[in-house]
Formats: sequence, structure tokens, C-alpha cells
Amino acid sequence: MINRRHFLTTVAVGTASAAALAACGTGSSSAGKTGSAENPVTINYTWWGNDDRAERTRKAIALFESKNPDVKVNGNFTDFAGYWQKRATEAAGGGLPDVMQWDLSYLRDYGQRNQLLDLGTVNINTDAFEKSLLPSGQIKGKTYGIPTSTNAFAVYYDPAKLASLGIAEPTGKWTYDEYNAFLTEVGTKSNGALFGGTDYTGVWWMFNIWLRQNNIEAFTEDGKLGFTKDDLKKWWNQTAALRGTPAIISEERVTQLAPKSPFGSNVTATEVTWDNFMAGYLADSGAKELKLVPVPSDDPDNLGLFLKPSMLMVASAKTQYKDAAARFIDFMVNDPEVGQIFKTSRGVPASKTQRDGTTFEGTDKLVVDYEKSIEQYLKDAPEPPIVGFGTLEASFKRIASDLNYGKLDINAATDAWFKEAEDLIKQNA
Amino acid sequence: MTQSPTLSRRSTTSAPAPLRKSKRSGADARAGYTFLLPWLLGFIALTVGPMISSLYLSFTNYNLFEAPKWIGFDNYTTLFQDERFLQSVGVTVNYVIFGTPLKLAAALAVAMLLNSKRRGQGFYRSAFYAPSLIGASVSIAIVWKAMFGDNGPVDQGLSIFGINLGGWVGNPAMTMPMFILLTVWQFGAPMVIFLAGLKQIPNELYEAASMDGAGPVRKFFNITWPMLSPVIFFNLLMETIHAFQIFASAYIISNGEGGPAGSTLFYTLYLYLRGFSDFRMGYASAMAWLLVIVVGIITLIFFRTSKSWVHYSGDSR
Repeated sequence: MINRRHFLTTVAVGTASAAALAACGTGSSSAGKTGSAENPVTINYTWWGNDDRAERTRKAIALFESKNPDVKVNGNFTDFAGYWQKRATEAAGGGLPDVMQWDLSYLRDYGQRNQLLDLGTVNINTDAFEKSLLPSGQIKGKTYGIPTSTNAFAVYYDPAKLASLGIAEPTGKWTYDEYNAFLTEVGTKSNGALFGGTDYTGVWWMFNIWLRQNNIEAFTEDGKLGFTKDDLKKWWNQTAALRGTPAIISEERVTQLAPKSPFGSNVTATEVTWDNFMAGYLADSGAKELKLVPVPSDDPDNLGLFLKPSMLMVASAKTQYKDAAARFIDFMVNDPEVGQIFKTSRGVPASKTQRDGTTFEGTDKLVVDYEKSIEQYLKDAPEPPIVGFGTLEASFKRIASDLNYGKLDINAATDAWFKEAEDLIKQNA
Repeated sequence: MTQSPTLSRRSTTSAPAPLRKSKRSGADARAGYTFLLPWLLGFIALTVGPMISSLYLSFTNYNLFEAPKWIGFDNYTTLFQDERFLQSVGVTVNYVIFGTPLKLAAALAVAMLLNSKRRGQGFYRSAFYAPSLIGASVSIAIVWKAMFGDNGPVDQGLSIFGINLGGWVGNPAMTMPMFILLTVWQFGAPMVIFLAGLKQIPNELYEAASMDGAGPVRKFFNITWPMLSPVIFFNLLMETIHAFQIFASAYIISNGEGGPAGSTLFYTLYLYLRGFSDFRMGYASAMAWLLVIVVGIITLIFFRTSKSWVHYSGDSR
């Protein structure tokens, strides 16, 4: 099947490459070096994820190559933590891969430091995207990342586990006290065999949502902290009474289970996190069905929720194959067949073209339906967080875990985090 | 010194035979340096060069992407206000102080057992040596993590004796014993060196001691220990330096985070996290240089104190 746009692009590229070849032999026009079906160019693509994503990506790459015979894509992947350490080393050596899967947390670190290609200068179709979503990939008017898909925060639960304990399924209209009571009920009724959940106050994004519920910005325009120590103390106090009880799993168990999640290991009844983890949780836990409800809020009209790009596609500023990289990104975010391959494993497709071309069934439908059900509560996506946000997010988790180990009390934990945050902001100023 | 250097040189070169010899040694030296060249180039390009640049970087604010900014001694002074840094020093010192002597004691004990003539000694020596070959590998760290996890073999084994510690991996109080066990288990390398040292001790000494009615303890402290002291010194020095550099197992067992509760935040792991997770390469370089300096000082102290307890054969003492 010949797709008209791709056909035209191929012709255009062919012409461009012929012109480039005629000009000097090594084309370095604005489109970068280009290839042909006989002599294709090879671009490197890297992503993080598990084997499941690797298999889906392999299929997507094969499809892209069959539609674009002048480009070969060389794929490579690691897990999330190792991913960023590898990118840092590559960036220092000037050898970032041509196209990369990216996380919002690291967009400023690399974008503001001129490591990423301004995708506004190449041809990528963003007509099918929500206008409110695109700014999350932009910094100071330049587009560094195109969202592949969106995710939203949610509370996961396993209906079968709740039924076996005789606990009614939650509706998702709950305050923090009600959610805490629910966690306690699970822990008490199961006699400690099943924990209610993890300590949700250790999750940065949940804190961010709570701030939004209280109309506080996490970061100010000029890249400073928008909340006070008292806010953070109040937040960490939310679960103070639950720590060390069967309501929430102890940090010791969490560490033992790592890198697997407690929820995926069937030791907790609920988990508060991004809705695109569904496929991973299902595979890990072997549960028949998992469900999603909104996060708790003390203000029923303001859930603080937003759609975040679950991941972005970016290109290296130093890529020699701008055109091929742009076509690959365009394909990965817009092509309906790519949607069919990934379903909701990357999140709900951000591009309407891709979303409409994808059939969602079973659990994939649950995720899509969840994002539809919270539509009325959604606010603008956050801007790319400050430089060094990845570090802040990690230290938030680490210090909250020290809190759970009883190594720090809430005051000391708050001081420790603020010291690290202020040091980091000063460092990158 | 009354003789001038020129005089002394002339006096040696005046004889014809040494002259020829020195000519030949000049050619030998050239050949020697030529053979040395590949290593020397590698040493300069891959060791000295990076070391000098890291020394420079340690005085800068360098985030890997932008040009380093000179900040003088700031990195070094902020180090001592950084609680995580102090924690990493504590963890590492703990590990060195407890891990190294225990490892050496195990190595010496096993070496002495294997020193006697018995059937199948070759097999036992290989068997005891094997862990040190594979001990530092990634797979062993993963196995170790599984063994000491919740309901792992260690947890279950101890439960039989009524000791219920739970998993060691998630318990901040138990991670250090776990790492010390891991290093003690890799006693093979120092053991082989001890074994070679033990074989050098003349048997007559033990025979004479037996004649005089010395028991095994007396023989150990009066013969084995002093005779073996150069080897003990060598092993102590190498293992101490080695212990300061622990990284791979800590990285794997703690998922690269130094947890739980910072109990496995070894010095090199924190250095790595600072450099490659937080993009503070200047800070990480300062840490690296501080480690070099401290290990250097410790080595110096070892050498100074060695005079009082290390005996070399031929020494008048």
C-alpha cells in the first residue's frame, strides 16, 4: 500500500538527495544527510522499557523501514535508571543517538543545554495534537519533544483482592482521610497479609497533584520552588499515622521487592501512579483485572489532575540525518498502525490520528476510559520541570524512604530535601 | 662527598670494558623504551591524561554539557557540609575497618589449613580460590541479593535455628554484614599469596621449636607471624586499597541507589551518582581526588608503621 504523503516525502527526499549528491557528494543541507532505497542511511533510536516494549518497538521499526526504504533504524534499549546515566555519558562525548524516547523530567537538562534538536525546524505534523499538550515539550518557544502519548495519575486496585476481603470497591470520590481509612481497612481485614498500599506521600507527582489541589504551583516561572517547608511537612504528615501499620507496606519490603513494584508483586491492594503502568502491572501480578479510580482530594471540584506526556520523542542536536529523524518521529507519534502496535503501553496516544486509528479493548479500554472520565477535572499540563528535576524527584523518593525507615523525622526530612533542592537550584542557576 | 660527579664518571668510563658495556646498554635502553612505548602511550593517554583533566575539573562546576566553570576550592569545601558525603565516608570506613581484617584472617586461616600435605590439596586450593575469581562479577551480586532477600536461603536457614532476621537486603542494619560476608567470601586472592609465603618458611624453624616444646599457638606467633609479616603487609595494603574502591556489588545490590536508608551508599557509588545522575562532574572529580589523597596517606602510614612489625629475612633485627 502506498501512502500518499509518504510517497511524496520519498520523492521529495529522493530529489533532495540527488541535488545534494550533485552539489558536493556529502549532503549536509538543512535536511541533513539523506539516503536512498539502494543506499539507505542508518539512524540510531534508543528507548527505555521492558521486553514487552522492545518487542512492540521492533515491530514498529520494521513497519517504518518497509514504508521508508531509504532509512534503516538501529534500535537499542535499557531500563529507566540506567538510561539516563548512559545518555549523560553520550552527551558529554557528543554522541547522543539520533532519535530518543524521552522523559519530561529531563527535557530541560538537555534541551536548555543545546543537546536536543529544535523540532520546529524540521517537518513533523502536530495538527492532530491537543493544543494544551504541546507546550509540555517546549522551552522558550522551541520544540524539543513531541509527546507520544499521555498519562494521568490514578489509584489502581485489584477488585478480586478487595472482594476476597469483603471490602466494597472504591468510587474514586474520596478525601485523603477516606483513602487512609480505606488503606487501614485493607491492612486490618487481611491481618497484615495484604497491605493497603505504598506510602503515597513518597511520590513526587502525587505531592505535585496535592499542591495543585491546594492551588499552589510546584515551581515558579523563574525556576524556584513554589511551596514552603510547611507545605511539605503537612504533606508528609498525611500518612504519619499509617507508617508502621499494615495500612502501608514497610520500606524494608519495598526494597526487597525492587525493582519489582509491591503492587505488581501482589503484596498491596492499591497503588497510586500513572495509568499507563496498567499493562506492566497486569503482567507482573498475573491479576485477572485491575481497575482505576481518581486520586483522593479534599476539594471534590479540584482533583489537581492533568494529562502529562508519558514520554516524548526527541532528536539529538548533532544528528546528521535530520530528515530521517523527523520522519521517524512523525511516524512514531502519528501513524495509526503504530497505535495498534503499542495500544496503551506508552500511555494513551496523544495524536488524534493515532488514537482514532487504534482499537482499544479490555484493559487498554480501561485506561482510555479512565482518561475520558476525568476529562472535566483536567487542567493544563505542567511546563517542563526545572533543570535537574530528575535528581529532585529521586531525592524526594529517597528522603521519604528514610522517613519510613524512621531514620529521619518529618522536620529533618523536610530540611534535608529543601537543602538538596536549594543547592541544586543554585547550582544550575 | 668529595668527588665531583664528572670525576667519578670519568673514572668509571676510563676503562675500555665498561665503555663498551655502556654503549650496549644505551642500545638496550632504546630497545627497552621502544617495547615500553605501547604501554607508555596507553598510560599517558588513558591514565595520566584523564587524571590531570579530572584534577582540573575538581576545581570547576562542570555539568557534562557546558564548558567547566572555575570555582576554586568550592567543591572541596562543600563536600564537608554534604551529609550524604559524610554518610558515604562512614559507610566506606566501616566496610574497610571490618571487612579487610576479617577477609585477611579468613585467607590466612584457610591458607594454613591448605599448607599441610594432604590428598586432593590441589582441588581444595582451586575450590577456595574460585569465589575470588567470580566474586566481583555482576551475576554473583545478583545471586547474593537473592540469597539474602526475604525468604531467601539465608533467611530460611537462620529460621531453622530460631533466628528470624527477615531479609537482609531491605534492612539497613543488616546490609553492612552482608557486604562484609561477600568480601570475606572472596578471600581467594590473598589466600594464594599467603600460601606462597607459608611455603617459604623453612621447616627447620618449626622442628626446632617443637624440640623446645612450643605449641601451635606459640609457633604461630613466634615463627609464622614474623616470617610471614612481609606477605601480611602486602596483603593488608592491597586489600585495604581494594576495599576503598568497592563499587559494582554495591551498585547492583542497591539498584544503584545506595539504599536502604543510605546504608550501602559507598564512597564510589555516591561519586558515581553525583557525576552521572546529578551531572555534577566537578564535584565527583573532587571526591575522586580526595579518595586518592586519603588512600595515599593511609598507604604512607602503613609503610611508616610497617618498620615496627614487618621483618624481612636478612634484617639484623
